Amino acid sequence: MTTTQHRPPFDQPDPEGAGVTPPSGEEHELGRTERPWLIVALREIVVRLTNRAFLVSTLVTLVFIAGYGAFSVWQSGRTTTWTVAVTDGAAGRLVGQAATTAHADDAKVVIESRTVSGESAARALVEAGDAAAWLHQSPSGGWTLTSADEADNDLVVPLEAAVRTDALATNAAAAGTTIQALERGSTLTTNQFDGRQGTGGFVKGATFAFALLFFMAAMMFGQQIAASVVEEKQSRLVEILVTAIPLRALLAGKIVGNSLIALGQVLLFAGVGLVAVSFTDMAKLLPTLSTAVVWFVLFFAVGFFALACLFAVAGALASRTEDLQSTTAPMTTILMLVYVLSFGLGGTALEVASFVPVASVVSMPGRILAGDTAWWEPPVALVVMAGFSVATIVLSERIYRRSLLQTRGRVSWKQALTAPD
Amino acid sequence: MATADIEVRHLTRTFGDVRAVDDVSFAVGSGLLTGFVGGNGAGKTTTMRMVMGVLAPSGGEVLWNGRPITATDRRSFGYMPEERGLYPKQPVLDQLVYLGRLRGLGASAARQSVTAHLERLGLAERARDHVEKLSLGNQQRVQIIAALMGRPTALVLDEPFSGLDPVAVDSMADLLREHTSRGVPVLFSSHQLDLVERLCERLVVLARGRVVASGTPEHLRSRSVLRHRLVLSGDAGWVRGVAGVHAVDVEGHIALLEVVEPTAERRLLEEALRRGDVHEFSPQRPSLAQIYREVTA
Repeated sequence: MTTTQHRPPFDQPDPEGAGVTPPSGEEHELGRTERPWLIVALREIVVRLTNRAFLVSTLVTLVFIAGYGAFSVWQSGRTTTWTVAVTDGAAGRLVGQAATTAHADDAKVVIESRTVSGESAARALVEAGDAAAWLHQSPSGGWTLTSADEADNDLVVPLEAAVRTDALATNAAAAGTTIQALERGSTLTTNQFDGRQGTGGFVKGATFAFALLFFMAAMMFGQQIAASVVEEKQSRLVEILVTAIPLRALLAGKIVGNSLIALGQVLLFAGVGLVAVSFTDMAKLLPTLSTAVVWFVLFFAVGFFALACLFAVAGALASRTEDLQSTTAPMTTILMLVYVLSFGLGGTALEVASFVPVASVVSMPGRILAGDTAWWEPPVALVVMAGFSVATIVLSERIYRRSLLQTRGRVSWKQALTAPD
Repeated sequence: MATADIEVRHLTRTFGDVRAVDDVSFAVGSGLLTGFVGGNGAGKTTTMRMVMGVLAPSGGEVLWNGRPITATDRRSFGYMPEERGLYPKQPVLDQLVYLGRLRGLGASAARQSVTAHLERLGLAERARDHVEKLSLGNQQRVQIIAALMGRPTALVLDEPFSGLDPVAVDSMADLLREHTSRGVPVLFSSHQLDLVERLCERLVVLARGRVVASGTPEHLRSRSVLRHRLVLSGDAGWVRGVAGVHAVDVEGHIALLEVVEPTAERRLLEEALRRGDVHEFSPQRPSLAQIYREVTA
């Protein structure tokens, strides 16, 4: 079989091959480019990066993270001064002792005494806020600290110590011994294997940050992917697209483009967040935190592919933008669960969750941070996650193909799964 | 001998119990402008979507150059779907270049082709505008460029003329002829029968999912019942009673007649001359609208 082409005599070859009246030849201009998914991915990236709402929300989040860091630095660099009203020299001496202890413990805490004439003057000073508290002798013996509200621990603890030491010294002398003799063998020295003890609050905070970051990114980008799919479906542009490239390439391009942007944004946030932490008191925890962040980004990258596919399917199931709310409901529910559970779980439940796909994105980095993972646990969870993502992508492509060209009304998840090709 | 043509063989598509397209066969020859005519719901769009692979046929096949068509073949086709759509918030030039690249044009070739078409259709100044800011007619032109840019090997256009003003219709017709002149088969559907009559070298008439007529306009006319115009000196009312003649319309001394029996013409003229003078007795070239009504009746 041969192919004949019509070649009218007036038809001159067009070197660019792009004119309105191009010649006919053995080869045609169209249909030769490879990797159409790359063209789709590039468009998704360009459209996202030129979207004002996206740029503004990214900037606002960055400012928020950097602002938190700056606030922490300012807060930790601030010297706190406590003024204690006293009416006699004994109280003044006690405040002096407390000031020495407190300052040795934390250089940014200063305690000073202010001698006033009597009770009423001391009360007036406390009421006016010029003194934090009034230290005076109790009628029944011992000392009383009177303050307007509950006194701060930074002040109470060193004062308590000073009062106790002073009383002990006096009592010891009366008993013919010394305070050192009394205290012999009563000290407990603490020794830590690593610096994580006592950082429970920090782990919780960081886990919360992971959960928030994941939740925000997944919701935002997920919804955007779904919206971009339904836009093509609603405008029937998809009919032109599917005659030009395979549906798989269209889906792949959307997922890759949006995932790259999402990952880039998360990396940016995580990077700025780590820099912000390095300026705070928690800087000594940075090595541990960085490891957890690296794992978080890995889990996020793998997990986001699966979510992106599911959101693309949700877009394909809808026939109008208005349908998206109901077709994306399953994913939104899962994400909300992951978000909420990441705070409530502990013990075995947390260990299980750290292997369950999607939930593991938040809970495994949290466990790594808390330091209770064996070396093999994060990689295994990541492999489970990757397996889940691959299965999701395969399944999604099928549903996407079946429902994308059904433009009359919303397609249910069940219909899409059971429909023939 | 096969040429660069599209052939549709026994194409059938059912939606549930409805047979939207029923055993449809026709060919769109190389370099021929083929008009696809039919009423609403006749199955034109469904057929075109099957040709483009948007919809899978329930039966039958589509051939390209004599062999079953592939996705790669279709990739170089220009397609204009029935329902128009573009990215509303993307500039005209950007999205046309994007669509061109998806169909395999290089970035610079796509840009050149798009720019040339935009100039040709008077949209050069709107290249940077978002599509949603264009009028419907201009959006339609952008859609046309999406189908015609580059060098498509075939064109499948669903209602390409709807929404265009007469000047745009002419430029569009010129553009289509340029493509057929380099051997490209063009299939387009339309409701505007006068336009189809003016442009098409071939016609396919669809009714209720079936092909009821196809061929050149002359071929269709020859199959049609010939009409005659008869102008008399007196009243023409009596022609209603002549056997073998069907009076389509009688007004005063003018009658439009269909001669059903071959010998009836002679009887009719003899009677007319007996009654008075015959000023005119001429065959009427049937309009496409008339043929269409006949074949779809």
